[in-house]
Amino acid sequence: MSEQVLEKEFPGLTSSNYRITSDLTGEYNCIAWAANETDVWWEPDPYDLYFWPPGIQRTYTLDAYINAYGTLGYTTCEDTEYEEDYEKIAIYLDSDETPTHAARQLDSGNWTSKLGSLEDIEHNSLDDIICYEYGSSVVVMKRPK
Amino acid sequence: MSCVTERSNSEFELSDEHSKDNDISFSDESQERYKWSKRLGEHYLTPMSRRDIDCLLKFWELKEQWKEFTAKLSSSAKIAMHPAYQQIIGMGQEAIPLILAEMRCEPGHWFWALRSITGGDPVLPEQKGRLKEMTESWINWGIEQDYIDE
Repeated sequence: MSEQVLEKEFPGLTSSNYRITSDLTGEYNCIAWAANETDVWWEPDPYDLYFWPPGIQRTYTLDAYINAYGTLGYTTCEDTEYEEDYEKIAIYLDSDETPTHAARQLDSGNWTSKLGSLEDIEHNSLDDIICYEYGSSVVVMKRPK
Repeated sequence: MSCVTERSNSEFELSDEHSKDNDISFSDESQERYKWSKRLGEHYLTPMSRRDIDCLLKFWELKEQWKEFTAKLSSSAKIAMHPAYQQIIGMGQEAIPLILAEMRCEPGHWFWALRSITGGDPVLPEQKGRLKEMTESWINWGIEQDYIDE
């Protein structure tokens, strides 16, 4: 998928605020990517088709996502600023408060996102990929490095 | 009040010309029966090869629409709720070999559709979420069930 397509899908992306960092793949999703996984699709689907951490409720709710990342040692925190001793992730929520996307902070302070079945990108800020499907609010979590 | 034209020993249908001229003479019920008889006629008289192509074209068109509009989504539930995907599920058993053939070329999120149509899931618990392994399981299932060739 070209930059042109990404910039059409995500109006906040411009040639100066992101770069593509992977090939196209549907093998993992943003939720898995934020958890540093690249060979599995994380999702609490009702058919139990996809991976979801054992023991965590299979619902598309913020609590379920917070608990899922909690299994990796993440806890909720207040701000998105880079902290040297912590790894941070951000869970995007749509207007119904349903989790839609997750991004992970890099050591540069930038963020990395897997965009659905499209590519991974590195983007400067969480706002860069705000769109109707992803929503505009985020909950931030962190864990010690 | 209907006008039945005999076309062959086994084939009867309302005359289109007659129905146009005399619409007012047909009750709702007879018009409904006429529609159904036409559908049955198409079902039994359209050559199998032609039906296969129609089915393939429909699948292809729906698949392209679905992929275009859901590429940025990370939730299979939302991906599967797209109207084109739902129409593919609505194709029922006819869609199974087409989905499996598509998965062979390009693994994708067809698991929801296959689960909905077949009511089963051959994927092992340890394969859940691993698209390559899930795809392989469904293709093997398709071969075992004679939906696709080895």
